[in-house]
This record gives sequence, structure tokens and C-alpha cells, in this order.
Amino acid sequence: MAISTKVVSRRRILKSAVQAGALAAAPQIIPGSALGLNGAAPPSDRIVLAGLGIGNRGSVDLGSFLNERDVQFVAICDVRAERQEAVKKMADDKYGNRDCRMYGDMHELLARADIDAVLIATGDRWHSAASILAAKAGKDIYCEKPCSLTLVESRALADTVRRYGRVYQAGTQRRDIENFVHAVELARSGKLGKLRTVHANTRPPATTHNWLVGEPEPPKQVVDWDRWLGPCPWRPYNSLYIQGRWRGYFDFHGGGILEWGAHTVDLCQWANDADSTAPVEYEPQGNHVICRYANGVKLVMRDDGWLNQGTCAVRFEGDSGWVETADTGQMTLSDNLKAEHRAVTMKGTDPSTHIRKFLDCVKSRALTRSNADATCQTHVACHAAYIAWQLGRKLSFDPGKDEFPGDAEANRMRSRAWREPWRI
Amino acid sequence: MYQKRAKKQAPKAPAQQDATEIMKLGEAGLIAILQNPGSPVFAKAKACQRLAVIGTKDAVPVLAALLADKQLSHYARTGLEANPDPSVDDAFRNALGKLNGILLVGVINSIGQRRDAKALNPLLKLLNDKDAEVAKAAAAALGRISGAQAAGALEKALRSPKAPVFPAAADAALVCAEGLLAQGNRRQAHALYSALNRPEVPKAVRTAAELGIKKA
Repeated sequence: MAISTKVVSRRRILKSAVQAGALAAAPQIIPGSALGLNGAAPPSDRIVLAGLGIGNRGSVDLGSFLNERDVQFVAICDVRAERQEAVKKMADDKYGNRDCRMYGDMHELLARADIDAVLIATGDRWHSAASILAAKAGKDIYCEKPCSLTLVESRALADTVRRYGRVYQAGTQRRDIENFVHAVELARSGKLGKLRTVHANTRPPATTHNWLVGEPEPPKQVVDWDRWLGPCPWRPYNSLYIQGRWRGYFDFHGGGILEWGAHTVDLCQWANDADSTAPVEYEPQGNHVICRYANGVKLVMRDDGWLNQGTCAVRFEGDSGWVETADTGQMTLSDNLKAEHRAVTMKGTDPSTHIRKFLDCVKSRALTRSNADATCQTHVACHAAYIAWQLGRKLSFDPGKDEFPGDAEANRMRSRAWREPWRI
Repeated sequence: MYQKRAKKQAPKAPAQQDATEIMKLGEAGLIAILQNPGSPVFAKAKACQRLAVIGTKDAVPVLAALLADKQLSHYARTGLEANPDPSVDDAFRNALGKLNGILLVGVINSIGQRRDAKALNPLLKLLNDKDAEVAKAAAAALGRISGAQAAGALEKALRSPKAPVFPAAADAALVCAEGLLAQGNRRQAHALYSALNRPEVPKAVRTAAELGIKKA
């Protein structure tokens, strides 16, 4: 049998050797960014960030992240191909390259050892599941609110973050917006006197169990409907859900109390120094829920009756004065506290300071202001209020056990089974 | 220049399947929907969701019969998982021997969520199931149930780092160890955390185990 051999000519060998020598002798060009030049932090100082499910609000967050010199955004995972492309373009345009990678499966993204942290803005139904998976993969987490759909999810999220020692910041950026911070300080410092009542601007609570009429499912590579649903119950596909009209559907949404309460109840919790607890009583009155803490402070969750200062308003009332503020930055105080007025220009929706503080905590490993435990308690309060509203009756709650004592019906509403294969 | 503002038209409400009347039914009406072979999937799904809040032991067999239904299994688990009646645990355990694949994974997840200690023996067998997803679900459920027997099984699983169940067993071991600490079993919790201090264990879990061992 003839054996065919590939003869490498001596000329080719010499040519290769010359090329190799030329490469070894040539000056190495190191990009300025690798040396921390041109405004970029050196690689050793950079936080490598990826995104899970970045839509409208997520793009606002991502914009703030991309403005930070010590962030390198490297990957996006989304169940919608057009969002993958849009976010990739946002990152590639910023960095002047084509390096941002796209994923349809978050497990693949989370398995990357180079990724330090994730930005999660998937839509409420995925927030706790994605955060839990990210924590288990050793990633730090910035997750948009609300952070859970049920009371039990809230606790599981906090437990997992703590178990894995992760840095977690909920997207409740009003904890870092000056007018809100100042109002909380007035309450906590005693300048309002003994705190009596805190008010949280919430939305009308109702959700629906209806289904939109089914449409043909698009190809998986365009929209992966199964993954869009994630842990939520199956229902037929309808394009309106993925266009953002999932709010108000019980299966995807924790209700209107949680929608704004994730921000405003959160501020009330903070003002009342209640970050490690929740109210012990919840009484629905129309669209309002009147709650009471063990320390006697009343929390009023209401959707109306506010001074016209914008969205996500809060009001804190003490024996000696009161303060009310909202997203425009405007602040109104009782006459005796006018000297405490602050003019604030940063709007309540601006996440930039909150994001910067998250990044600082990723480096220092310090607790964030909107950490998982505090966030959990806020969500517990909102979920408990929504349960009371759905049942139409007053409920007692034990925040130490996350239970409604002796109330089997209310306790059954603390959780929802996750669709297989997902599990808490 | 004067410009007429165009009249804003309210967007037309999209067509929907309406659950309102179903969600008002009592248990008997909801069970009737589930037992009627002509009931549409939508009605059965809603009936299951409502039974999650109001179902008694009477609803359990009707819901359990749907655990093998590919389209409705999760809805059946929704109706069952929140129901405190102990017959639910019997129903889930009985289903273990009848299901496979993803539906079996779902039932195992519900058993773990309810922390049914009577399911320990079947779960120990499923930990070695040839279906990797079933084995992982069993590991997770054992972690939630916790206790000495579960801990022993998970520790044994951690001796096979190449097995597909290994990462799930590692995470489950963390959860199990916390359960042991809550039961006052510091010795076995410490042993479990120590078993996780190996290079084959995912780094995130090793870090978590180091945190846990400080509490043990």
C-alpha cells in the first residue's frame, strides 16, 4: 500500500521560523484599557458584570452600570432574541468592540467563572428564581424589584443569599435618593417626635386570573415561551405578555401593593427601624390596608390622598411633626420643621447612586442598604397585606415565624408551587 | 399655529378567557369541573388554583389524578402543595412510583417543599436514579427534609464528584446542614460542612461551607 505523506518543504519551514522569530522580536501592543488608561480601571479592579433579562427598566440600570469605569459588561441572557441583540449593541457601542456574548440559557451564563455579578431585570416572575440561581453560582446580585412573588419566595431568597455569602442589592434605589433618605432620617432621629404613623403610596391591589387568548408560539430562537414562563404556571402564548403587558395577571405579578410597596413600604420599614421585622396586623379597607407594628406604629398602605409631589410618595407622622415626599424630589413638612426642607433634583427613579454603592459593596463585601434580609422583610409585609386584601378580612401575623397564627386559609396563600423543573 | 389635538382613543381591551365565575365556586363546583372530561384546560387550571386556597381532603384524590397529566400536573401540584391535609403527602408519595421524567421531578420538588420525612426511603432510592434531573431533585428534597439519614445519604453522594448529581448534592448538603443545626445536631452539621471542603466541590459551595462551619 502506498503511504501518502505530506512533504513540508524546507522553504516553508524556514518561512515559519522567520515569522515566529519576527513575532517574538516585535514590540507588544497592549491596549490602554489593560493599563488603566483612557479612564478605564485596570482589569484587576474591574467588576465583570452580566445581565439577565434586560428590558426597559433594565436598560436604565445598565446605562448606569456602563457609566462606571470599574465595570466590564460581558454577557446578556434573554429569552427574546431581539433583546439579546439590543443589549449586546448597547454594550458593544460603549466599549467599541463586539465582545458582548449572548445567551438563551442562564445556566450557561452563570457557569462562567469570569463573571462576578449579575444585573437581573427579567420581570417580577423570574426575580427570585434568577437571584437564587445566581447566588448558588457564586455571583453577586443587583435585582430589580419586586424581588419575589410570594412570602415564601422572599424568605428563600434571603436565606440563599446569606448561605452563599453574596452581596445583594434590590433595585429599591430610593434608599439612596436624598429626599427620601432625609425624610427617613427625620423619622429615625426623633425630629418628628415619637413616630406614630407611616404612609406608603401603593397601587390598586387587584390582579386577574384571566388568560389572554392564545396565539401561535413563535420559534424558540425568537422567543422561548417556556423559559419566559419559568417557574410560573403554563398558559397559552400571547405576544402582549412579552411586550410588557404581564402586569396585573396573578400568575406573573404580586399585585399593586407590591408594585410600589417594594419601594414605599420599604422606606416606611426603614423609617420605623423595622428592617428585621414586619407588621403584626393587616386590615383591608377598600384599596387601603392598615397595618400595625408590634411597637405600635401604624403603616397605612394607600393609593390615594397624597400631596401632588409625584409617584411613590411616603409620609411619616410623629408627635412633633410630619414629612411627605415623593419622586419629583419635592418635600413638604409640618410648619415647625420648615428649616429641615431640602431641595433635591435627583428623581426617585434614578438608580445611579444605588448602583455605585452596590459596586462598592461588591469590592468591600459590606452589607448594602437594600440587602436581601431587609428586602425580604419589606416583601413579607407587602405579601401579607395583599393576602389580607384578597381575603377581605383582618389578619394577625407572626413575623418571627412568617405565619398567620391559627389561620390556615391565609397560610396557604404564602406560597405557590413552582412549575417543574424549577424549585425554590 | 393652532393644531387640533387628535382625540385619544382608549386601547381596545384584548380578548381574554375569564376566570371570574370559576374563582367564585365552592369546592364541590371546582371538583365537578375537574371530574368532567369535557371541561376545557382553562377551567381545570383555574379550578386547581382555587383549590390551593379552599381545597379540603375531598379535593386530594381528584387533584392527585391529574399529576400524570402533562398539561395539568403543575396545576394539580399547585392545588395540592398548599393544602395542609396529610393525605396530600400520601398522594405525592404514591405518585413517585407511577411517574417519570419532568413530572416526577415536579412531584419530588413538592415533597421537598412540604418536607415530608415519610418520603425519606423512596427519595434515598431516587438519589441514584439514572435520570440525572430526578436524582438532583431527590438530592434537593433530602436537603430540605434534613436529619441524620438525609445527611448520611448526601455525604455519600459527595464521594462521587463525577456523578451528575454531585453539584445538586453539594447545594443540598448546605441546606441539610442548616436543618441539622436548627435541630441541635452540630456534630453532623459540622461533618457535612467539612465534607464540602474539597477542591472538586464548586467554589461557591466551598465558600458557603466555610461560612457555615463558623456557625456550626
